[in-house]
Amino acid sequence: MSRKTRDVLSVEWVKLELIRTAYATRGGLFAKMDPRMVISWYLILAVVPWLTHDLVTIIALFGLTAVSAALARVGPLVLGLFLIGFVTDFAYAFGAAWVFGGDHETALALVEITLKLATVSLASIAAFVSLDPEELSTGLLAWKAPELLAFGVSYGYRMMPILFEEFGTVFTGLRLRSPQGPRGFLGMRALWRWGTWAVQAFYPIFLNTAKSVRTTVESLETRGFTAAQGRELRIAQLRIGALDVAVVAVTLVAVVGAFELGAVVTIA
Amino acid sequence: MSAIIEIDRLSFRYPGAERDSLRNVCLTIEEGDFVAVIGGNGSGKTTLCKTLNGLVPHYWEGDFAGEVRVDGVDTYESSVAALSSTVGYVYQDFQNQLVRPRVRDEIEFGPTNFGMSDYAERAQQAMEMLGIAHLADRFVWQLSGGQAHLTALASVLAMRPRIIVVDEPVAEVDPAGAHALYERLTELNQVHGITVIVIEHHAEFIAQYAKSVVLMDDGAPVWHLPAPQAAARAAELASHGIPAPQIVAACEGLDLAAAPRTVEEAAAVLRTAGARQRDSWTADAVAGSVPRLASSEVDPARTDGDERRPVAVASAVSHGYRSVAGDLLPVLSGVDLTIRAGDRVALVGGNGAGKSTLMRLLCGLQVPRGGSVTLDGIDTKKSSATRLAEHAAYLFQRPEQMFLKDSIRADVRLFPAGRKRDDADALVDRVLDRVRLSDFADRDGRTLSGGQQRRATLAIGLAMTPSLLLADEPTASLDVASRDSVIAMLDELSGAIAAAVVATHDMHLVAEWATRVIVLGGGGVLADVTPLELFSSDALLEGARVVPPQITALGRALGISPAPLSVAQWREAVALTDAAARMEVRA
Repeated sequence: MSRKTRDVLSVEWVKLELIRTAYATRGGLFAKMDPRMVISWYLILAVVPWLTHDLVTIIALFGLTAVSAALARVGPLVLGLFLIGFVTDFAYAFGAAWVFGGDHETALALVEITLKLATVSLASIAAFVSLDPEELSTGLLAWKAPELLAFGVSYGYRMMPILFEEFGTVFTGLRLRSPQGPRGFLGMRALWRWGTWAVQAFYPIFLNTAKSVRTTVESLETRGFTAAQGRELRIAQLRIGALDVAVVAVTLVAVVGAFELGAVVTIA
Repeated sequence: MSAIIEIDRLSFRYPGAERDSLRNVCLTIEEGDFVAVIGGNGSGKTTLCKTLNGLVPHYWEGDFAGEVRVDGVDTYESSVAALSSTVGYVYQDFQNQLVRPRVRDEIEFGPTNFGMSDYAERAQQAMEMLGIAHLADRFVWQLSGGQAHLTALASVLAMRPRIIVVDEPVAEVDPAGAHALYERLTELNQVHGITVIVIEHHAEFIAQYAKSVVLMDDGAPVWHLPAPQAAARAAELASHGIPAPQIVAACEGLDLAAAPRTVEEAAAVLRTAGARQRDSWTADAVAGSVPRLASSEVDPARTDGDERRPVAVASAVSHGYRSVAGDLLPVLSGVDLTIRAGDRVALVGGNGAGKSTLMRLLCGLQVPRGGSVTLDGIDTKKSSATRLAEHAAYLFQRPEQMFLKDSIRADVRLFPAGRKRDDADALVDRVLDRVRLSDFADRDGRTLSGGQQRRATLAIGLAMTPSLLLADEPTASLDVASRDSVIAMLDELSGAIAAAVVATHDMHLVAEWATRVIVLGGGGVLADVTPLELFSSDALLEGARVVPPQITALGRALGISPAPLSVAQWREAVALTDAAARMEVRA
């Protein structure tokens, strides 16, 4: 057995990936856009797949969102999780059709719903990977979301790496100091222990965090957070530019194209 | 000058508290003053400061009597929001004060919330005043402690307050960072006329920077005096848990009634008084008083033929981390190091020099990207971190991260009981007794004081019966008395372990405890020396970004060789010319 420092699939990697995803540090097409337009773009692609049963249209829409995800430079962690979900869904669709005595039509119906879900997922991944929390919360503000929700989004993201780091430290402590034991069949017992520690780690984290949040709340008070006169100033920072209009226009054209394609071409 | 803060017969009791936290406080602070508020734990310092921006009584609603006027406004009639544009407050745990992801957002946050359309200029100006404009686009969690502190200060400065309150500025940053912060505060005070109020434990900072001092005791000010007069009351300060600065103690040790504010002043006073080195103070005399681990039976002087058992050996170790952008940031490269039985090693160096990384590698928590680490003869790459925990215990910087169970006893017992040690319970009792926490054994670690928390983590480490004990900043954010108790504890415990390594910014800990100092910098070991050698070399001090203890700096300024590392050594080393003569006559 030999240990080495791993750059992927390690706790540190997951943390970095979360930060990269949350703050759109990879850049990409949508990161340069106005958050309101990104959310609009997402809403378009989240709705249209449900307006059709034509498989060709759905595949075309799926292709469109796949290209969008590539342009948004989605990271390996999020993409990997998406693929795992996608592939297992497909396997399930065929498995279910076969077990319950369905024919290829049942399978196709299940494939259709899976593809629709995948399309919407890819669109949301592309959109939210590109929005950093500040943009997202300002965009929400512009649409009359309550100040508290908008702040919550931004503060939640701010706390995420801290909580993850804290979790890592406490979990390490538990792993090093807790009773060890046999790995068990297929490592089941080791897995069980890890699961137990992961749950136990929340006790110290809650208590440690509760203490520090008091300062945060007081500080918010002194810095006029509850005075909340800043809505207009924040919204004034937003600008809709040529890129925003172009991206939405191209998307609309592509969606119409997908429906046209579905009308012309038919499978089976 | 006119009074900017007038407090008249103020009393306050927190809801549900048994007694008043502030009792009949009468206090006036002039505009443009630089005030240090001092006093023991629970003397009401923080509560007093929270009355200034209206957190008491508007946020903390308790029994409030009397009157507080800030810039002529009665705080009871005003609100926290309104008062915040006059009074800025920087917390002790300032990291929790930062609520936005990036530095610029953070500093613009206050002005934006109050609807000030010039928020961007205000933020820019505040950053420039504190010299942190280059950090504007950083994420707040990428900042070092000192940078984060300045960001918190800038965020209140952007409101253009007339009063700034800073709660224990030294607690969570290294000495160089603390001095930098004080320099900035002094500038704000002198150039911009901002009234500065600090809550402070460390007499040396008070003496050097404050214009006046308020001593609090049991919820009321004992006195409010100009700083020089306050410093002269050394005995009274000591009785309130504020030991005199080492330079004052040095003068006292020679029966000189002087209260110098800086090392230079002290050196001038002592030169005039005729302080000189005693003949008995030689390098050999010092060697006799150098501490070392009890288990060491060999001379601690490091020679090539050192026969002492190697506990941890790093050979050609290189390590680094991935950044958010994906690059590999090298931290250590080609480090060779042997920690032998009996060593008491202090790792020093600036932030980011790799102190914590090296410790994590030495205890096998991580494995190096290049080279190898051998712990108790085991290659850390060939064993798991859980196995290696039987050989090395690593104490995290923040004690609460080590409190995994609901009582200190359960936390200390976790490791020995889990490894099926027959004598686990006896061991736990012995260890708790040793760190003098038997009376607190059933309490949650988080409810203990700072010093007790550190001792509890030491107990957790000792119960693991390691060969190598590693501690990250064991004296950070402790007041002077607790710090001294932790240093004394480390000193006593040395018999139980073969070797100890601490990463620290605390030069008192280095001077009074370590036998060996390893200076990290530029990815490698800059020097491997004794504390005395470190403090005698300006080049090394600069490279390590450390400030020697006042007493050592004073000794060097007076040409005393070897320079004393503690006040006790100072007493042995230095005498006044005529006093020394008198003693010789008596002999």
